[in-house]
Parts: sequence; C-alpha cells; structure tokens
Amino acid sequence: MKPIGLRARVSAAFAVGALLLSACVSLVSYELIRNTLFAERERTAVRAAYFDATVVNAGVTGPVPDVSEALSALDTGADRFVLLHLGGEWYSRTAEPAAGTAIPAGLQEMLGRGEAGAQRIQRDTVPALVVGIPLSGSAAFYEIVSLQELDRTLQLLALVLTAVAIMVAAGGAAVGWYVTRYALRPLTVVAGAAREVAAGDLGTRLDPDTEPDLAGLSHAFNHMADQLARRLEKDRRFAADVSHELRSPLQTLEAAVSVVHRRKDGLDERSAAAVTLIAAEVTRFQSLVEDLLELARSDQPVHREQIDVTELARAVCRSRGLPEDLVTRVPGTPEIWRVDRRRIEQTLANLIDNAIRYGGGPIAIRLGTAGEGRCFLEVDDEGPGVAEEHRPMIFDRFVRGPAANARGGGDGTGLGLSIVAGHAAAHDGSATVLDRPGGGARFRVELTA
Amino acid sequence: MTAVLLIEDDDRIRLSLSMALEDEGYTSYTAATAEEGLAEQRRRPADTVLVDLMLPGMDGFECIRQLRRDTEVPIIVISARDDTHDIVAALEAGADDYVIKPVAVKELAARLRALRRRSKVAAAAATAPAATVFTFGDLQVSPDAGEVRLNGTPVPVTRTEFRLLCELAAHPGLVLSRQQLLQRVWGYEFGDERVVDVHVGRLRHKIELDNAKPRHLVTVRGLGYKLQP
Repeated sequence: MKPIGLRARVSAAFAVGALLLSACVSLVSYELIRNTLFAERERTAVRAAYFDATVVNAGVTGPVPDVSEALSALDTGADRFVLLHLGGEWYSRTAEPAAGTAIPAGLQEMLGRGEAGAQRIQRDTVPALVVGIPLSGSAAFYEIVSLQELDRTLQLLALVLTAVAIMVAAGGAAVGWYVTRYALRPLTVVAGAAREVAAGDLGTRLDPDTEPDLAGLSHAFNHMADQLARRLEKDRRFAADVSHELRSPLQTLEAAVSVVHRRKDGLDERSAAAVTLIAAEVTRFQSLVEDLLELARSDQPVHREQIDVTELARAVCRSRGLPEDLVTRVPGTPEIWRVDRRRIEQTLANLIDNAIRYGGGPIAIRLGTAGEGRCFLEVDDEGPGVAEEHRPMIFDRFVRGPAANARGGGDGTGLGLSIVAGHAAAHDGSATVLDRPGGGARFRVELTA
Repeated sequence: MTAVLLIEDDDRIRLSLSMALEDEGYTSYTAATAEEGLAEQRRRPADTVLVDLMLPGMDGFECIRQLRRDTEVPIIVISARDDTHDIVAALEAGADDYVIKPVAVKELAARLRALRRRSKVAAAAATAPAATVFTFGDLQVSPDAGEVRLNGTPVPVTRTEFRLLCELAAHPGLVLSRQQLLQRVWGYEFGDERVVDVHVGRLRHKIELDNAKPRHLVTVRGLGYKLQP
C-alpha cells in the first residue's frame, strides 16, 4: 500500500482539528440558543396563560357560569389550545372528548394541590408546552402552547451549525494543504537541486542560510554532492591515468610491429607468421582497450548538442568505404537531433561494424521518429540474423555471435553492442535487435533527441 | 625528403615511431622535451611537428604556443589523453590537428600527407600574383596573395586558418558543414568536428571585433558555418 503523503496527513490533521473545534463551538452555541429560546417562549406562554386564566376565572366564577362563553372569549390564535377542568369535566373550545388525556398526570396532581406549573410534552409528535394554573375552587386552567415553530427554528439552526462545522473542517484541510505547500517549498528546492546533480551538474549546492530550519538537510546535501563530485573526479582521473598508461605502450607496440611487419618478407616463414599474428593481436588489443575505456566512462554525463545525424551517419559510412546512399532519413524526420555527438557516432560505427563483421555488411541505415519526441536509428544487414534465444544476451558484455565463434574468436571485442546499449540508455533510450523483413538482422536504437 | 620533428618524452614511443615514420618515407628529428624540440626546430626546421601533450618541464600546450609564435609550421598533437578539454586546449593553443595514441602508422602518415598538401597549396598561393580578392565588408581575403586584411591591416593567420577562411570566402553566404570543411580544408574523409570549431574560434579572435557576436564568420546552428559581409 502506498503510504499517505505528508501533505495529506497534515491536511487531514488540520481538518480533524477544525472539525472538533467547530463541532464544540456549534454544540455549545446550539445548547445556549436552545435554552434561551425555550426559556423565552416559556415565559411568554406563562404570562399569556395567566392572563387567559384571569379571564376564564372571571367567566366561570360568576353567578351563571358559562364555560364555553368564557373560553371562546379568549384570543388564543392558532398555536394555543386551552382546556378547562371543571368539576371533573374537561372543557375546550372544540368538542374534543380526549382533550384531557394530553395533560400529564403529574401536572394535574400539582394543580390539584393548588400549585401552578408548566411542562414540556409531545402532543401528536409535535412538541408543546402545557401551562397549568389552578383557578378558584377545584377548577384548573390549562393552556397547551405548540412549540412547533420553535422546534423548526432549532432544527434549522442545527442544520446551519452542522454545515458550518463541515465547512470549517474543509477550510482547515484547505489551509493545511496550502500551508504545507509553503512549508514544503524548501524541500522542492532540495528536490530540484538533487535533480540537477543527477542530470550531471555536480556544482549544484544549497544555501543553508535561506532556510534555517533545513540547514542540517542543506549541509548534508552539500556534503553528499561534494563527496559525489570527488568520487567522480577520482574515477575520471583514474580512467584518464589508466588510459594513458595503457595507450602509451600500445603506441610503441603499434609502431614497432609496423616496422617489423613491413620487413616480414625478409623473415623466415615461422617468424613472418608470428609477426602477422602479433600485428593482428595488437590491433585487437587496441580495440579492446578503447572499448573498455569507453565502458569505464559510460556513466559520465551526456553532452547533448545539435547534431545533423544524417550527415554524421554518412561520414561514418565514408570512413569505412561504404556508399553514403545507404543512409536514408524517413520523410518528416528532423535533420537536427539533440544528442551526444561522440556517443551517437560510436553507436553508428559499432552497429555498422557489427553488420560488416556478422551480417555481410549493412544494406540500409535508416533514421526516423518513433513518436513522443523519440528518434530511432536502424541498421539492416542480410546476414543470418540473430536467433530469438540469443537476443536477450546479445547486448551483454563479451558476448559474440555464433559466426565469431565459428571463425575462431573473431576480431570483435565483444563489447561493441553493449557500448551501443549503454549509449542508448544514456539518451533515455534502448537498443533492440529484430528480424529484417526479407531476412537478416535489424538493429534498432531508440533515443530521446 | 619531408622532415618531421617528433617531440615525445617516452623513449620507446619516440624510437619506434621515428623508425615507423622513416619507413613511411619521412626524415625524422626527435626531441625528448619541449625545450629541446623548440631548439631543434630553430636549428633545423622540420616541415611538420608532432608533439605530445604531457612532457616534463614545459608542457605540450606551451610548446605549441611557442612554436606558433614564430612559425606557421603544421602541428599535430599526438596524445594519450582523449579528454575533450585537452584536445580543445591544444587546438586553441595553435595545433592544426590531433591524434590519440595509439595511432596506426598508416593513419598518421595519411594525416601528415593531408597537412603537407594543404601547406603546399597555401605556399603556392602565397607566391602567385594577387588576382582574386574576396571582400566581406571590412574583411578582405586574397587567396592568391595568401593574405587576410581587416580594415586594410594584414591579419596574421596560420596556414590552416587561411585555408579555412579561403574555403568559406569562395562560397560567400553559403553554409558549409563541419564535415565538408574537414574534407576540403583538412583533407579528411572523416574526422573530429571539434577541430573545425576550434579553428573557427581562433579565426574569430583575429577577424571579429566581438567573438560572442560574430559579424562575418557566423554559426548556422546544427548546420555549419558561413562567411558574410
């Protein structure tokens, strides 16, 4: 499973924090508002009930008590419902037989003791407040006030507060995301510097003073870059020294052998044969040294420049006495590629030499585009091709084709194609071998240019 | 008989190469240090100088500079170092060409012949009467007189630089690729294009007011060079 990113974690923490905080604030304010509103409503209801009770009391305690007259004289509106308990009978403005059942027994008892009281009840799923006031005698006056309006208000309030809490949480997450972007910006600089180093700019260093909190990281990064540069420089110097130490004696051998070889007609048969062997081996040893030195520095940065690769391919053909018109550019392919001249020249030379050595010489060298800013080089030959089972290892070091073995070792170094693969990889590309339609091998190098 | 001066500190290379060069028909003079080589060249001027870069005492770069100061003799660097910086530095110091050790004797002989051919052409041109003069604004190139003038003042150029300038001047406004220039000026079928670049750079130092913004000898990106007024 992919670990959750730092930014996501920080944002989540911000969101949870904001949600907790806003939920607390919402709950507290909801409770406060609810209590205040209820208290207010109760006070109003009680005041109204007392007023009504006075009116009703006057109506029922007169010489001719007329209950319905007294009740209907009240101005109650739609949300108030009055009940009168008089002489064991329930009276209301509407003839509702079960009206009395809405009044809780506890409240009736309180009024029976002559105490006024109020109680919240649930009446037909609608919240209501019952205010009971004892009248003279055994009569009791009840007023049921609907709290539906208040309840709706509170529901709306709860909804609004919940929405606010959610929005605050989302806001917290957004702030977290935004803040971490700023907080992580110095790390973006570090990442950029690391990329530059990886791309070969070994002089890249971080300024530890710009971000004091990351000074440790900056110092460590710079130290690493220093070490890397030192290592590479040491490797480079070693390769240069090795190259010098190997090439100097080879120069002597080469010149001395050419002097003897020139006079081989004057030598006896055995000596002449030996000189010819030495001359051939000196040449092969030279190629081997060159190829090994090339492999040794294959991890050096790619030096890209604008190159006319078609012209380069033609020049490689010329230098090998091959006709220039072997080289074709697929229509629509740009003339100029951004590549490392030395590496591409060597890639072409190695593929062409390979075709000469094992494929009877190249019959076509093609340059084209492979889409997504990639270009390809193809070298075709009419040789026996490369068997499917040999293809995976043909780009490995010191692997030679079966033709070479049949000829007793061949004159190749066995490094040419692995150098090609290395150069292709250095250009973010790859080297492959395919069947040429019509027989033979097709070596293809794809690269970004 | 063409004489070659070989300045090389490695005794074995010096001995074997001079023998091989003699087999190729050259007279070889040898020197083990730069100082010795400079003295040898003054005493008995060779037609071409082969110089190693890593020499005890004065190094090859300084040796090339000093040789260049008083002569136009073709100089080929023969070095075991194939570092781009070294190659470019040697060419900038005034070398006409370079080869990396180990170089095949046949290859070296071919390069020596190519350089000699060029030198002869330049020498022949120098003695011919002034006929054609190419004019590019304040720059005048007279192939026949072997002369380059900037605002009427003669500009000292080496033979290779002169040949390069003549080749470009003969095709005014036309872009010549580095490979074309290598073929026509150096006489190589195939070679290192940095040789051309460095020579162009050296020429610019001599004929341009601002090297960064050349007016006459301009680079056409990815294609090559051209000469314009």
